[in-house]
Amino acid sequence: MAQADGAVATEVAADEERLAYARAAIEYAYQQGWTDGLPVVPVTRPMVEEFLAQTARPADEVIAAVRHLNRECTVEQAAVNAALAGCRPEYFPVVLAAWDALMREKAVVGGGWQSTSGPAPLIVVNGPIRHRLGINCTGGVFGPGFRANATIARAIGLVVRNVFGIRPQELEQATQGVPGRWTLCIGENEEESPWEPLAAEVGLPAGTDAVCATLLRTCEFVDNRHTQNPEELLTDFADTISRTGAAIVPYSSAGLVLGVEHAQLLAASGFTKRDVQQWLYERCVRSHADLERAGKGLGGRTGPRIDEYGLHMLPSPEQLMIVVAGARNAAMSMVVRPFGFAGWSRTAVRIESRE
Amino acid sequence: MFPAMVDPTAGPATRASATALAARKPDLRGSRVGLLANVKRNAEQFLDEVGALLRREHGAAEVVRRKKMSITDPVPPEILGELVAECDVVVVGVGDCGSCSASAVADGLALEAAGVPAAVVCTEAFKVSADAMAALQGTPGYHYVRIPHPVAPLTAGELRERAATALPEIVATLTTAHPGIAA
Repeated sequence: MAQADGAVATEVAADEERLAYARAAIEYAYQQGWTDGLPVVPVTRPMVEEFLAQTARPADEVIAAVRHLNRECTVEQAAVNAALAGCRPEYFPVVLAAWDALMREKAVVGGGWQSTSGPAPLIVVNGPIRHRLGINCTGGVFGPGFRANATIARAIGLVVRNVFGIRPQELEQATQGVPGRWTLCIGENEEESPWEPLAAEVGLPAGTDAVCATLLRTCEFVDNRHTQNPEELLTDFADTISRTGAAIVPYSSAGLVLGVEHAQLLAASGFTKRDVQQWLYERCVRSHADLERAGKGLGGRTGPRIDEYGLHMLPSPEQLMIVVAGARNAAMSMVVRPFGFAGWSRTAVRIESRE
Repeated sequence: MFPAMVDPTAGPATRASATALAARKPDLRGSRVGLLANVKRNAEQFLDEVGALLRREHGAAEVVRRKKMSITDPVPPEILGELVAECDVVVVGVGDCGSCSASAVADGLALEAAGVPAAVVCTEAFKVSADAMAALQGTPGYHYVRIPHPVAPLTAGELRERAATALPEIVATLTTAHPGIAA
């Protein structure tokens, strides 16, 4: 009996020693400045090879860059940081597709990562890969609690920090930043959406594994469990979309991550996505008087978004990104706020997995 | 200490090399002054005040106004080309945000590389990002003009005052008068 206890004690002691070593490795990563504030996974060469084996792209291919900083990120550097972020190797093709999608965004290739707004990349995943990788698209879709969602988004942030060298209070000048800045990877709830998936709307065949991405300044909830009338619901969205705080006159933009109930209500009333975009584009106009009251008067300025009624809060109907995500358990949605200066590229990138 | 741990910041070496600054003249008499504004509120108005002062007090012959429509992107090549062709010196500004302060410094260095002396104006709040940008571009210590923050909410009168205060340093930066800038 005593002998058995002794054997257990020896095993525990040995394990404590190994775990202390693991802890020291994580602390070392902190000391080097490699983390975003949360612990990272220590990365070894064989781990990097596991990630690289998931893609046909050469390790030295440049997948992202900040030209004005003279910084580039290769497939291999992205792999190291994906491993560091806690991704499983099979997530890596999604990370690469997310970078491809982000690099189509004007704000990203400009100085967006350094912006005072501290914008967050929104990564939307479509296709069967959501289920293969466990990318959440239903309850609690904005997190936390789902490894793929959390770590794919974090892998983007660690490249910005470690590869581009854009760190807070240095080259990154976020005044306050966006809560959950490096966590916004969501799957679209295609199974319960009444409409075509986002990637299909912008041109890829339905059923394609794909990523769309843009930069966000925040998400704001619209809780409307009160009406069955589609126009009342849209009026509720329009109020949030049109708030003056989100207008950097004459720029502003918005998107919708619709809860399933809201999307189904609209579709059952005959609204297509295009109808929703058009309806909101026409009505999300903030009056000159309201803008002036907020100190944001247009002062006689003219432009494509300005007319006698005021400022159109959406640059065009198509710029209103619509994604359906979340659980079908309450009628609530998110208005998302794209980094409004440059617009969304309205493209989707195919995820090239190595099967 | 952890020899097997891969450094996530390691990568191919960056290729930035120092930008040689453009040659300066002793003064601005008869010069064509370019004003490269971004779309930040009051940027154009501030530069217009600077332009007017340079004509009135320093004998500048003409002012060439250009505006870059994206605060996040570097100056478009066609605008850079026009400024290089039509101007003897250029004032760039106003860097009063994270991305535009860094890109204003990059634009200043692009003008210098093309042989045109530039004075980049940033607000004090963005010293760190402007300095970091200059270092990244291979030209640490690049001199730019710092003015108090912020610029966006100022009235016309306050802008005029700020332009007048910054003027001596702008002139010095564009001419051989500045101790940090060789002729």
